[in-house]
Amino acid sequence: MPLDDDLEDNPSLVPPPSTTTTNNATGDAATMMDEVEEAEDAPTADFRLFASTYSKTKNISAQTIRKGEKDFESHGTRAQASALDASRDAMRDVLSYTRVHNTKSASGWCRGWYFPDWWKDWPEDWEQQKSKRGKEGGGRRMRRKRTGNYHRCIQSLGRAVTGLPKDRPARGREWLLPEEALYLVERGSLDLWWPTRGIEEVFPADGSVPTAAATTSAKGEGEQTEEDEEEDEDDEYKYGLPLSLQAAYALLIGEDGERGKVSLQKFQVFSHLKRAGYNVIRAPTNPLPVQDDTQLTTTTQPASKPKSVTEWLISCLPQSKSSPTDPPPYGPLVPPGFYRSYNTIYNYLSLRPSSTSSSASSTADNQPQKPQSPESDGYDSDSNSPYKIHYHIFKASTKFTRTRPPPPDFYISVISAKDTSIPTLSEISSLLASAPADLPKAEWLAGGPARLYARLKHGYRNVLLAVNDHGVINYMRFAQGGFAKEELFRNYDMRVSGGPRRGGGGGGGGGGKKSGNNNEDDRGGLIEVEFELLASRLLQSAVS
Amino acid sequence: MASTEDDRQVRISKIAGRYLVFDIDDVAYIRRQHGICAVFTGTMPQNPTQNVFLGLPLELYAEDAKMLLDRKVAYIADDPLEHLTQLKSMDDATRKSYLQSIKTQRRTAQLVFNEAKAQSMAKHKDKRKPKQPQPPVVVPTELPLPASSADDVTAAVDQEEEGGAESLLESSSSKPVKTDSSTPPQKPLVKEKLPAITPTTSNAMISNGISNPDVENHTALPLYSYLNERGYFITPGLRFGGDFSVYPGDPFRYHAHYMANSYGWDEKIPMLDLVTSGRLGTAVKKSFLMGGQKPATENSEAGELRAFCIEWAGM
Repeated sequence: MPLDDDLEDNPSLVPPPSTTTTNNATGDAATMMDEVEEAEDAPTADFRLFASTYSKTKNISAQTIRKGEKDFESHGTRAQASALDASRDAMRDVLSYTRVHNTKSASGWCRGWYFPDWWKDWPEDWEQQKSKRGKEGGGRRMRRKRTGNYHRCIQSLGRAVTGLPKDRPARGREWLLPEEALYLVERGSLDLWWPTRGIEEVFPADGSVPTAAATTSAKGEGEQTEEDEEEDEDDEYKYGLPLSLQAAYALLIGEDGERGKVSLQKFQVFSHLKRAGYNVIRAPTNPLPVQDDTQLTTTTQPASKPKSVTEWLISCLPQSKSSPTDPPPYGPLVPPGFYRSYNTIYNYLSLRPSSTSSSASSTADNQPQKPQSPESDGYDSDSNSPYKIHYHIFKASTKFTRTRPPPPDFYISVISAKDTSIPTLSEISSLLASAPADLPKAEWLAGGPARLYARLKHGYRNVLLAVNDHGVINYMRFAQGGFAKEELFRNYDMRVSGGPRRGGGGGGGGGGKKSGNNNEDDRGGLIEVEFELLASRLLQSAVS
Repeated sequence: MASTEDDRQVRISKIAGRYLVFDIDDVAYIRRQHGICAVFTGTMPQNPTQNVFLGLPLELYAEDAKMLLDRKVAYIADDPLEHLTQLKSMDDATRKSYLQSIKTQRRTAQLVFNEAKAQSMAKHKDKRKPKQPQPPVVVPTELPLPASSADDVTAAVDQEEEGGAESLLESSSSKPVKTDSSTPPQKPLVKEKLPAITPTTSNAMISNGISNPDVENHTALPLYSYLNERGYFITPGLRFGGDFSVYPGDPFRYHAHYMANSYGWDEKIPMLDLVTSGRLGTAVKKSFLMGGQKPATENSEAGELRAFCIEWAGM
């Protein structure tokens, strides 16, 4: 490989400038959507443009900036051919970059060691208890210096396992998940090594760095070791070999669920989100009761608000609802008689419970995590369903610490477009059940009919789906719409009270329903028919 | 690499059932010669905080891999297996040559670093230089001091350039002569560490094509190669609502014209699918293309692929 040429042609050898961030880390749902739209152009993106943004020092500048738009089709001209060639050459130049870790740079560099089997014997829940977060075994060890840029990108990754016995080797080192490690390798922030010696030798237990190992591990601390170059190198390679990007992929990408590996789809989604500036952590494989404590403590203050709102919702419920309405085995659903309000009629008509009926979710509102275990237990039978929450996502603006992560902003499930079909009802409901309740904003809840659509759209629980089609990722949001909570018929009663006056005055915008309202008292039978129609619609929506 | 293009064998790494290409020369080759652009999926180390431009590896469709395999220009390598066997039991010769190649790369990187540094320093001084002679014109009394400093600077620049040129030629002793330059206190840096390197491919470590696993799940291959042979480029089409989006040439220059789905010859296509796909295609200014291949019978080989386009008629 003609590396000389590559590097010299390459305008961007200089380590990534920290200022050039196109999608800066101010993520929210809106920017996420923007990104998706932006990504529409991704496979066709013009690398010449990219090259030019990097040619601060070199000559791929003015003449290679994209000239004009794309053509409709080939017309065989030389101009077209040369434009295409320029694009391809620029692509080649940009992509022949080799990742260089500057040992002297102020931001430091870090070296990782691949010890996939080190945690093999440890039960997973031990780790979960330790960290209150799920983590699979295959990690890797790395030592790193936390400064500058690196600090920004790294602080949300990896974790140190504390509380280990003193004689265990490699205490106090960071361990990374496979996707974290691969992401860091890919962005050129981590120098991954294959150890040819055991972990005991590379990182001795007593914490002291013996003379030989000093060269490897003290490297992370940059300038501290000033040793003779040649000797140092030989020493250096005594403990392992640097790995290529390809090797990193080969070692870290695996089938779904393989221990110490991550599937390619998940990794692509992970790194896509990381690039966009989100903080991403793996979702726990099975939520532990410990987690509820933290969740509860964090949600105690906000819980008071939804509580009042639910109380408000419950207080709004008509009293007759609470009495069980077993429909008679025959005869009309609504027994003939006088009805002074629509509520009673509708309550007679509501036959099927809805998943989002107010009584069911009032408990869920108070304790977001609690209903999770019983509900998800019910669905655990199809544990091979691909629809599971895989990652917790935090907006960059959220104050984030790995040891005590705040409640996630999004829950995401990674789906392969090729191997997965549209979710079944049970899959989607177990997926939604595994996410905690995410109520609409309090002002929406209090906003009455005016905020109806905001509430419906936001839903009461939601999960994002990342559908990965061979590296092209589409994000979708699945939310549990609370149609059963929006009881439209209550509005009819309000209108009844104001009805006669308005009906007498204007009579313009009324329409059939209103005139029905006016005459309600005299002609109960008519109303009944009309409402059966409406109710069937309502039922449909509640079921769906 | 143009000289070897005739007998180039593209290495397709099969990792967990996915087909990846890591070598940029391979990527350029299949794009130019075989009309396969596929999807870049990796983070760009040069600018890792954006999602518009992505880098290696390239993720291929199974259809791409199969097609290249059939044309005998590629081989499929079981990368995890090969890497593990190679890493676990590496003989001395391989190890040495691998380390050697890494060392060479590190040296090169060092050279380029130094050169870039020298250049940028020279540039900085160039920028400063034209400003400094100005004060003498305005305030003649201050003439001696700035003039001398300007002289210093030019001298330093000269030395700088020498240094840069030398560091280009020589490998070890970098920055030989600028310890006396006044402005920024230079580190002596006689024996500095080479920068570490993460190579993109493992070409230096693993031999070519031990294993040759087969390609599975290439159901759309007939339609795929039918389009490819006619010069169309194909990328994943989920975002437009189809299996593939089909470009009339390299997507660098053209927009997609079709979104395509592949069907079996006797497969029943629900009318609703046709309507939704047709509408969707029209909505994204593409026409919906569907195709299927006549299966092999006793007296005829599989052949005759038929493709149709559906567009929404605005009646």
